[in-house]
Amino acid sequence: MNELVQLIVLGLMEGGLYAMVAAAIVLVFKSTHVVSLAHGQLMAFGALAFWFVLVKLDMPVPVAVILALAFSAMLGWTTERFAMRPLIGQPLFAAFLTTFAVFLMMDGIFQLMLKGESVSFAAHLPKGNVMMMGVSLPITQLVSFGSCLVLFLGLALFFRYTKVGLGMRATAEDHQLAQSTGITVRSIFSHIWVLSAVVATIGGVSLANVMDIYYPLPYLGIKGLIVALVGGLESLTGALLAGLLLGILENVSAGYLDPVVGGGVKEVAAYVLLLLVLLIKPYGLLGLVRIERI
Amino acid sequence: MWRPSGTFDQTYRQDMAIVRTPFRWGLLIVCLAALFLFPAVGSHLGWSLTYYAVSFLNTLAITIIAVMGLQIVTGYCGQISFGQAAFMAVGAYSSAILTTEAGLSFWVALPLSGILTGIYGLIGGAPSMRIKGFYLAIATIAIHFVTMWLLMHLSITGKSVGLTLDPPSLGSFVFDNEERMFYIIMPVMLGLTFAAKNIMRTRVGRAFVAVRDNDLAAQVMGINLYYYKLLAFFISCFYAGVAGSLWAHLTLVCHQEQFTLIHGLWYIGMLIVGGLGSIPGVFFGVLFIRFFDEIVLLVSPYLATWFPWMGTAPAAALGLTAFGMVLAVFLIKEPRGLAHRWEIVKASYRLYPFAH
Repeated sequence: MNELVQLIVLGLMEGGLYAMVAAAIVLVFKSTHVVSLAHGQLMAFGALAFWFVLVKLDMPVPVAVILALAFSAMLGWTTERFAMRPLIGQPLFAAFLTTFAVFLMMDGIFQLMLKGESVSFAAHLPKGNVMMMGVSLPITQLVSFGSCLVLFLGLALFFRYTKVGLGMRATAEDHQLAQSTGITVRSIFSHIWVLSAVVATIGGVSLANVMDIYYPLPYLGIKGLIVALVGGLESLTGALLAGLLLGILENVSAGYLDPVVGGGVKEVAAYVLLLLVLLIKPYGLLGLVRIERI
Repeated sequence: MWRPSGTFDQTYRQDMAIVRTPFRWGLLIVCLAALFLFPAVGSHLGWSLTYYAVSFLNTLAITIIAVMGLQIVTGYCGQISFGQAAFMAVGAYSSAILTTEAGLSFWVALPLSGILTGIYGLIGGAPSMRIKGFYLAIATIAIHFVTMWLLMHLSITGKSVGLTLDPPSLGSFVFDNEERMFYIIMPVMLGLTFAAKNIMRTRVGRAFVAVRDNDLAAQVMGINLYYYKLLAFFISCFYAGVAGSLWAHLTLVCHQEQFTLIHGLWYIGMLIVGGLGSIPGVFFGVLFIRFFDEIVLLVSPYLATWFPWMGTAPAAALGLTAFGMVLAVFLIKEPRGLAHRWEIVKASYRLYPFAH
């Protein structure tokens, strides 16, 4: 029983990480209707920038956080300006594939920077285990989970009370209507990419805190995408729910099925979950059911 | 359709012909003869680059088969599939099992592994009944990982070690090197290209295009959506299976490392560069990207000496970056791909000296 609780709690913590990456993808999809593959890279580059400032330049943590966020905001803006904006008005399929091209481009640069090694900044941050209600928890996981909750709360407040956030919500409803009420849709697109890059970076830094930065890190972005699809591409709540669900499912299934089939269940649990959910609810758990006509 | 001046079609057969003028027939025969004589003559005369060129042509041809299948499901039927590499792996493993475990000859195993992969592709294409667009694209990524996981954990597929194969043979003649495999791979590639070209001119091909352009409208016009989507997946995976089978018999090993997600992504990239919805586009895309890749491989050692901070082996990383850039440029500047450019060149040649 205690083992199950341990697995579930660890799963929750990991699920929070997936949820953050998924949130970044949901943000972009809500406003621009583009599913982005590039966020895995935005997240990895954010983590790399954080590592660079913290370890290489030996700066304190707050400076590293601010610089990493600034860097990723710039990266998000650049992606929008040079890859996505020329494709406004083109089929969404083209924009989707362009994010994939951006992914490949940045993947090469990422590998070039790492040179096949793995780096880690966990040594510069607090470490250790905390016992809580009979369950042992690593501090790194707790910090990551905490930042996930803060992030989602912050996003909820942002969309509710700020003017830009309201503009983003209006844009998500209908581009033309938003434009006619005086919202500059084009700059909203730019803002949303910056915001989502920042969110992705927070997710990336939290992820890299738990694991090292090495070449498969960007591919966790695909997992974020899966979480976004399971939760429903339009729904931030869905992203959070699906992220936590996936985290729990992965850990519990790995804990109980690995001895039976000989390991590796954790790698496929997400994909099996996605296929099942898509067959039963094609638009995800909380996604909008789209009604089409010719 | 535009015809060169002075060429008139008097019968329906002439109108539908793929190769329509005596000049083109001549050109086709000369090109095919040159292609098929090259490895034999080259190795006989001992040209130094023959072996390299032939092995390059072999990989090229196998890639063309795989991308041709992808063209049918993605370019013509509009169902984006990132799983082509996984389907190739299924073809490779099934032909390896059929030849080594079941003791079938290569000539039976080749089409059989294609059909088996096609049937597997029906499972892979099943989500297309409920979902489409991005959702399907990500679902195919999921299918890729599930397939790879199965190959990694089933004992019949050799787990993480993979499988080894024997080279195919005909009587006492063994196809055990690149030059000999060339004479299997090339005819298969040409035959499958011909088949793809013709499938797209039949009722089935037109139904695919209708599904791609607007699936709801197609359904209203009486096209059975699920039947045709699954058929597209079946044909596409048949191509992938044949390509995988050939690949396995060329390298004589089957391993997961040969069929990663990146391969599946590259195939989609080749399709975009070549042009979606065009059979010549497959050739343009594969040739362009492969040549580009070779150039990057040649240049990257020099880059490493000029810029020491890059480290010792930047080739793979630089290749990815360059490929991504090419892809982005094509998507933004020429979304219809090289095939469209080729049509423009042909038209202006035909119309010269007039502009229109």
